[in-house]
Amino acid sequence: MAITRRDLITNIAKAGVPVAAVMSMSTMASAGSESTQAESLPVPNAAVGLLYDASLCIGCKACEAACNEANNTPEDISGDRLHEAPVDLNVFTRNIIKLYKPTDGSPSSFVKRQCMQCLDPACAAGCPFQALYKESVTGIVRWDGGKCIGCRYCTISCPFSVPRFQWQGFNPVVTKCELCSHRLAKGLKPGCTSVCPTGAVTFGPRTVLLLEAKRRIKNSPGRYYQDRVYGEKDNGGTQALYLSRVPFAMLGLPEIGPESVPSSSLRWQERVYKYFALPALLYVGLVAVIRKNLKGHEAEALEQEKETGLRAQQ
Amino acid sequence: MSTTVIKLPGTTRPRWERAVPVYGVSVVNPFFIGLIVMALLALVLTTYREIVGLGPVSGMNDMFGWGIWKTFNVVVLTAWGSGAFAVGTAAWVFGRKRLFPLMRMALLTSMLAYACGLCLLGVDVGRPWNFYWVFFPWNWNVHSPMAEVAICMSVYAAIPLFLENIPPVLERLWHFDVRLQPIVEKLEHILHKFFPLIIAAAYLLPAMHQSSLGALMLLAGQRVHPLWQTPFLPLLYVGAAAFMSFGCVAGTTMLCCLVWKRPMDREVLDEAARITAWLIAGWLALRTLDLLFRGALITAFRFNRYAGIFWIETFLIGYGGWLLYRSLKDRQPRTMFLGYTISSIGGMLYRFSPTTLAYMPGPKAMYFPSTIELLIAIGFVSIGIAAFLLMVKLFAILPAPAQEWRDMAHYFKFRKPYISWTRYFNFGFFGDIEPKESD
Repeated sequence: MAITRRDLITNIAKAGVPVAAVMSMSTMASAGSESTQAESLPVPNAAVGLLYDASLCIGCKACEAACNEANNTPEDISGDRLHEAPVDLNVFTRNIIKLYKPTDGSPSSFVKRQCMQCLDPACAAGCPFQALYKESVTGIVRWDGGKCIGCRYCTISCPFSVPRFQWQGFNPVVTKCELCSHRLAKGLKPGCTSVCPTGAVTFGPRTVLLLEAKRRIKNSPGRYYQDRVYGEKDNGGTQALYLSRVPFAMLGLPEIGPESVPSSSLRWQERVYKYFALPALLYVGLVAVIRKNLKGHEAEALEQEKETGLRAQQ
Repeated sequence: MSTTVIKLPGTTRPRWERAVPVYGVSVVNPFFIGLIVMALLALVLTTYREIVGLGPVSGMNDMFGWGIWKTFNVVVLTAWGSGAFAVGTAAWVFGRKRLFPLMRMALLTSMLAYACGLCLLGVDVGRPWNFYWVFFPWNWNVHSPMAEVAICMSVYAAIPLFLENIPPVLERLWHFDVRLQPIVEKLEHILHKFFPLIIAAAYLLPAMHQSSLGALMLLAGQRVHPLWQTPFLPLLYVGAAAFMSFGCVAGTTMLCCLVWKRPMDREVLDEAARITAWLIAGWLALRTLDLLFRGALITAFRFNRYAGIFWIETFLIGYGGWLLYRSLKDRQPRTMFLGYTISSIGGMLYRFSPTTLAYMPGPKAMYFPSTIELLIAIGFVSIGIAAFLLMVKLFAILPAPAQEWRDMAHYFKFRKPYISWTRYFNFGFFGDIEPKESD
C-alpha cells in the first residue's frame, strides 16, 4: 500500500501529539519541582555573600594574606618555613587559592575556597548545642566557642569540608570563614574582597550578586560551565556563589543537587522525632507491657523462693 | 561439660536458676594486673593528651576528624554492649522470659561498655567543659543526631542503666548484715515500684541513640560509600546492635562458664541463639533489600576495597548466624560460641565501616590510629574488663544452678572461715545452713 503525503503528515501528527504532551508535561513537572526547591529555603533578609568568578582570578593569593590580617591568624609557612603556602584550609587558613591544572592540556583554573555560608548549613544542622549557627539577618554561619564541645561533627558533615579543628593545644577552636563579621560591623568589607585586584571575588547582598552573576553569563554565553551559577540552588543554595569555566566538581565543589544535605538526609529523623510524640507514645506503651510482664515475673520469683528456700533475685 | 550431658527424660540437666558470685578465685591474678597496668598507662597518656591536644597523640587529621575513640570505642563497643537493651527487650517486651538468667550479665556488660565509651568520648572531644549545656534543653539542637547521641547516651547510662544495676548491689547488702535488711528491703520495694518506668526508659533511650549513631553518618552524604550510605542506616545500626549484643551477653556468659567451670543451661542458650539467628537473618534480608532497591548492590561486584569490606562483613555476619542456627541442631556449645564470636566481629566491622573504612572524605585522605591513640583505646577497654572481673566476683551476676549458691555457702563456711572482712557469707540467708549467730 502506497503511503500518500497526506497519510504521512497525519500519522506524524498522531504520533507527535502524545509525545509532545508527555514532553511538555515532564518539563512542566521538572520546572515545577525546581521552582519549589529554590523557594523552599528561606533566604535571610540581608543575606550577604561572595561572588567568585574563577575565570577572572589570577591566583595572586592577595586574599589569603588579607584574610590572615583581617582575622589575626598567623601565616601558615609550614611548607618551606619561608612562603605562606598552605596545602589546604587549616586552622590558620580560612581562605585559600588552589589551582586545578589537568595534565591533558585542557583549561586550568584557580579556585578560592572558603565557607560557602549555606542557606541550610549541614554543620549547624549537626552541631549538638548550636555552637555553629546561622545568623538570622546576614545569614552568616558563625561559631560560638562557649557552646562548642569539640566533637568535630561539623568536619564530618560539611559537604564542602570547610570547618577546621585545631589539633594542637588544650583549648582547641573550630575555625571557618565567618565573612569577617567583625569587619562588617565596622562598615568594612571582608578581607579577601577588599584586596582582590581583578574583582574575581566581590562582596554584596546575595540577590545582587546573583543578578550580577547571571548578567555575566548572559553577556558572554558559553564562557561559563553549563552557564550556571554554583550556589544558586546547589545544596539548597549558598551565599557564596561561583562562576567557572571548568566543571565545578574539578574545583572541589561537589554536585550535590538542589536539595540541601540536612533536608535530604535528616528528613526521617525529623519526622520520627516531631514534637517528640512518637517516642512518648512508645514509652507509654512500653511501660504498660513491661508492667504486665513484671507482675507475672514477681509472682514466679516468690514461688521459686518458697520452693528452693533461697531469697528471690530480681 | 554440658557437651557430654546425655539427653534423657528425667535426668537432671543443669538449669540456671539464680545468679551466684564467682567464688574461690582470687580477683588479683596476672591477667588482672596486666589490665590494671594498661588502664593506668591509658590514664597517664590521657593526661598528656589533655595538655598537648589531639594532634600529637592521635592519627586524626583535617580529613578524618574522627578516630577510633569515637568510631570504635563508642560507635562499635556500645553497640556490642547494648545487651541491656536487646536482651531486655526480648525478655520483657516480647515475652522471651527464658532469657531472664542472662539479664544481669546483660546489664553489667552494658553499663561497663557505656561507661568506658562515654569516658573516652569525654577524652575525645576537644572542649568537654562546654558539656554543661546538656542541662539547658532550650540550647539543644534537637534534630542533630550528635545532640541525641550525646544527651540520650549520657542520660541512659546515668539514670535507667545505673538503676537497673542496683539490685545485685542491694542484694549483697541484704546478705551483708541482718541489721541492713529492713532498709534494703525498703529500698528494693521503692525500686520495684518504679521499675516499669525505669525499664521502659532503658529500652526507649538505647533504641533512640543506637539509631542516631547511624544517623550521624547520614549527614556525611556522598562521602560514605553507597554500599553503606542509606536512609535505613539508623535502622540497620539498631539491628546490628541487637544481634551483636546477644553475642556479647551469651558469648561472654559461655566464656565465663568455661573459664570458671560452671554448667551451662542449654535451654537458655538455645533460646538466645535462636533469637540471634533470626535477628541476623532479618537484618541481612533488610540490608539486601535496601541495597537492591537503591541499586547499590552493583557496586559490591567491583574489584575494590569497599566491595571487599562489604563481602567480608556480610560473610562474617551470615556465617556466624548460620553457625548459631546449626548449633541448635548439633547441640555443640563450641559451634554456638564460634557463631557468636564470628557474627559479633562481622557486626563490629559493619558498625565501623561507615565512619572509617568506607568513609571517603577526599582522594588523599588517610587515617591510621597512632600508638598512643591505640594504647588509650585499649586502656579504656581494659578498665571495662577489669571492672567486669571484679564485679562478677563481688556480686551475684553470673547465672548458675541453685545448688551453686549452697555450695558457695559451704565453701566459705568450711574452706575459708577466716574470711570475715567481706562478711558477705557470715551473716545472711543460705537456706538450711544459715548461721544463727548475730553481731
